[in-house]
Amino acid sequence: MERQGKGRDEWIVGGHRFSSRLLLGTGKFQDAETMVGAVRASRTQIVTVALRRVGRNPREDDMLGPLGELKGITLMPNTSGARNASEAVRAARLGRELCGSPFVKVEIHPDPHHLMPDPIETFEAAKILAAEGFAVMPYMPADPVLARRLEDVGCASLMPLGSAIGSGCGLATAGMLRLILRDARIPVIVDAGLRSPSEAAAALEMGCDAVLVNSAVAASGDPIAMAAAFAQAVGAGRDAYCAGLMPRGSGAASPTSPLTGFLSVEGS
Amino acid sequence: MPWRVFFHSEETGVKLTLNGEAYEANEVESVTALLEEMGIGGRPVVVVLNDDVIPASRRSTCGLREGDHVELFRLVGGG
Repeated sequence: MERQGKGRDEWIVGGHRFSSRLLLGTGKFQDAETMVGAVRASRTQIVTVALRRVGRNPREDDMLGPLGELKGITLMPNTSGARNASEAVRAARLGRELCGSPFVKVEIHPDPHHLMPDPIETFEAAKILAAEGFAVMPYMPADPVLARRLEDVGCASLMPLGSAIGSGCGLATAGMLRLILRDARIPVIVDAGLRSPSEAAAALEMGCDAVLVNSAVAASGDPIAMAAAFAQAVGAGRDAYCAGLMPRGSGAASPTSPLTGFLSVEGS
Repeated sequence: MPWRVFFHSEETGVKLTLNGEAYEANEVESVTALLEEMGIGGRPVVVVLNDDVIPASRRSTCGLREGDHVELFRLVGGG
C-alpha cells in the first residue's frame, strides 16, 4: 500500500498537511533569539518541546515564549524524562494541556548512556495514547517488526533513529530504515543522530518523508545558517526521490561521452 | 481582634506540597492567586492539583487547602 504524502510538496501526518519536511528540536540552543532564528531559517512547521516542573526560580526566562509569535508552527511536546509507559502517558496528557496540539513525540529512553528507546514501553504508551486520540509520533529503534506493530495500534508516524541521540553518527541504520520504508503506510521520519545536511538529503532520497534534527543545528557553528542548509537539503532530497535516482551500477564505468575519437577519422 | 487575623495571615501560610517540596502559601483563595504569589501569573504552565489537571478556565475559582499537592509544569527546549 502507498504511504500518505507521496506528493512532492505536501505530506500528511495525523490528518494534518505540512509542506516542510524538516522538524526541528528546540533544545541545546544558547539563547532564545538563536533558537527562534533557526526555526525561521529552517522553514519548519513542527517543532518539538519538552515538559519540566517549574523550578525553584520560577521567574527564570521563558525560552519558548518567543515561539508563540511565529505563525504556522505546530508545537509537538515530547515525553523525554519518562522511564516507562505510564510516565510517558502522563507527560503526553500534560503536554497536550500546555500546547493544545494533538501531536506527541513518545520517547522513552531509560538509560542515559545510550538513550536508546525502550521498544516495549514505547509500544505500550503508543497504544494507550493513540486510543485517546493523540497523533502519536514514536521515537523508536529502526526495527521493521516494531514499526508494523506501532502502525497497527494507530500511530500517526514512525520515527526511527538514524543513530544515537546527539551522536552525530548519521544514518547508521540505513539498511533497517529501507526495510521500514518498504512496508510503512504512515510517514517515516528519521529522528536522531543526523549531523550534516547531506545525511538529511540522503534520508529523503531513500524515501523517508521527513527528518527531525536538533543537535545538528543547535550545536553547529552557526545554528541559523545551518538550519537554512538543512531546509535546502530536505528539499533537494525529496526532489531527488520524486525524480527517481539512476540505477546503481556494478562498479564498472559507463561512458557519458561518445568513445569514438574526434581527432581520428572514424573507421580509419 | 483584627490584629490576630493579620498575624495569622502573615506568619502561618497554608502548608502545601509544591512540586514535591514543602511550601507555605499566603494566597490560597485560588490557583490564580498562588501563581501570582509565585511570580508566574500569566505564564504558560499546567497545574495539577492532587493528581487532577486544573484547566485554565477553573483556576480563578479553584481554592487550595492545607495538605494539597500542587504540581506545576512548563515547556522548555527539547528535541
